[in-house]
Amino acid sequence: MKKSFRLARAGQAEACPTFSTPNEGWASARPALAMVMFVAAFALQAQKPAEVVVNQVNDRRSASSTFSNLTIGIELPSVEAKTVAASRVLVRTATDDSGADLVARDAEEPMLYPNVRDEGAISVSMTLNNPARTATKLREASGEIELYMPSKDPNSTADIAKVLPASGKPLSHKALKANGVEIAFLTAAQLDAENRKREEYARLELDESEVAVRIKDPQNRIHEMGYVDAKGELQRVSTRGDEGLTIISTWSGKPQPDWKLRVQMKTPKTVVRVPFVLKDIALP
Amino acid sequence: MRSLLLVLLVALPALGQSNVKVELEDVTDNRFAAGMLTGSLELRVTLTGTNLDKASAARVLIREARDDKGTDLAKNLKTPDFFGREYNNGTLQVGLASPSRAATRVKIKGTVELYVPSRDAANAIVKIDKALARLDAPLSSKALKAAKIELTPLSPAGYRKALESRKLDEKKLAEMRAEGKKQGVPEKEIEMMLELAQALDSSDREVAEGSIFLAGRRDAFDRIYRVDILGSDGQPIATPQRSTSMRGDDGIMTIVPSSAPPEDAALQLYVITQKARVTAPFELTVELP
Repeated sequence: MKKSFRLARAGQAEACPTFSTPNEGWASARPALAMVMFVAAFALQAQKPAEVVVNQVNDRRSASSTFSNLTIGIELPSVEAKTVAASRVLVRTATDDSGADLVARDAEEPMLYPNVRDEGAISVSMTLNNPARTATKLREASGEIELYMPSKDPNSTADIAKVLPASGKPLSHKALKANGVEIAFLTAAQLDAENRKREEYARLELDESEVAVRIKDPQNRIHEMGYVDAKGELQRVSTRGDEGLTIISTWSGKPQPDWKLRVQMKTPKTVVRVPFVLKDIALP
Repeated sequence: MRSLLLVLLVALPALGQSNVKVELEDVTDNRFAAGMLTGSLELRVTLTGTNLDKASAARVLIREARDDKGTDLAKNLKTPDFFGREYNNGTLQVGLASPSRAATRVKIKGTVELYVPSRDAANAIVKIDKALARLDAPLSSKALKAAKIELTPLSPAGYRKALESRKLDEKKLAEMRAEGKKQGVPEKEIEMMLELAQALDSSDREVAEGSIFLAGRRDAFDRIYRVDILGSDGQPIATPQRSTSMRGDDGIMTIVPSSAPPEDAALQLYVITQKARVTAPFELTVELP
């Protein structure tokens, strides 16, 4: 527990570079230092590791290394599942009792996984390297659980009506504006013009379930898009990038003029990071 | 004495033994704690030897499996079904109980069993002409009668009636709950299994067009490897979906062909007879990952 507090304090100090100006004298630095201490102390309070319950340990060990890893299921009893749209676990440290480092350092940063539970507490999962066969417990693991909670910011969701037929102009919505996001549905004429610029093999031929859009999202705020039909039901989509355009496909056939486009965005208020520390977890 | 030995050696292949060997392709030790799932040791093996191409299916029967800490990994193993040689490049999956974490290797003794219907074509390959002409009455076949296999093709109405009689009522659920308790299954797990059974019970009712339903007893289905639907040209009709649903000792096999079978369609049953089975003992030592 002490170790995690030290890590939290160091992390917070690094996160406040404005308080450490190298050319200033000690006297002038004093108020700033006091401020750092205050922020660090505050952070200590705010970043207290969350209460977590380990609900599953799966050590999948394969000779061929196929899907070979240690996954730990963690429940956060104080967070209702229905408030979380997606989550991921960012692991900072993990060692077994043989001393092996279990952090998958070569792996890409994990993506936010959609939450499908709407009852009870939120449950997340973290993936580590396999411990040694001779190890008997996960000695310690720490990091942060990132929760995407759209309800914490009204500007996280944009429901935009009358996106079809495409106007070719950027869609207007205050949540899109607040997040610096620009989305324009391409008209048939714009798509023709785009295709004329392309080599023949790269030309777009969309079926009726697909639309081409141009998206500007410099802060990488878009989390997910979908349609909402006239009954208010969400129609899920898949997206793929294509030479600067994004193709939105739906499994529900041709998008209808009375459907809305729903854009869910990650804003500073909606992304909540909860520190965690696990100690002495028995290995199966 | 020497001639007797020679006779015995020659006779072995006729008794259904083979030179087939089992080689380990991959091993996965899937270990669980703190949740409801239990672990298992999964082996993927490949078969080598001569005349394997004559086998339609194969399976691995485990006689003994023990890790080097003495854990018995073959406890409560169910006899696996034959698995078609055309799937997964002919590899077979073998599931064992979870070894001790402190173990380093597992020793396994068992038998690989091949299903070679051509070895007993007269009894193992049973063709029933115009099998769908008389629904809701047992299939008429001398070979099936000799094998003591009774199967009844059902009409859609017969199928619905059979489903209704199998429906899970409170009495059946109570019996299943009692059986689970008797086997020492945790209560939470029993309730989950019952919920799943009830969900499957309701999904049973969807009938795809052209489906063929065969009702029979467990011991009959245990001895049938596959049922093909033969079209008017005598060729098998593709069947993208097939399943067998058991309720107690009663079962219904559902075969969904890619196109509706003609009125004169025949059924070709592949029966697992003693003579159509070829066995080969094997031993494996598996280093644990």
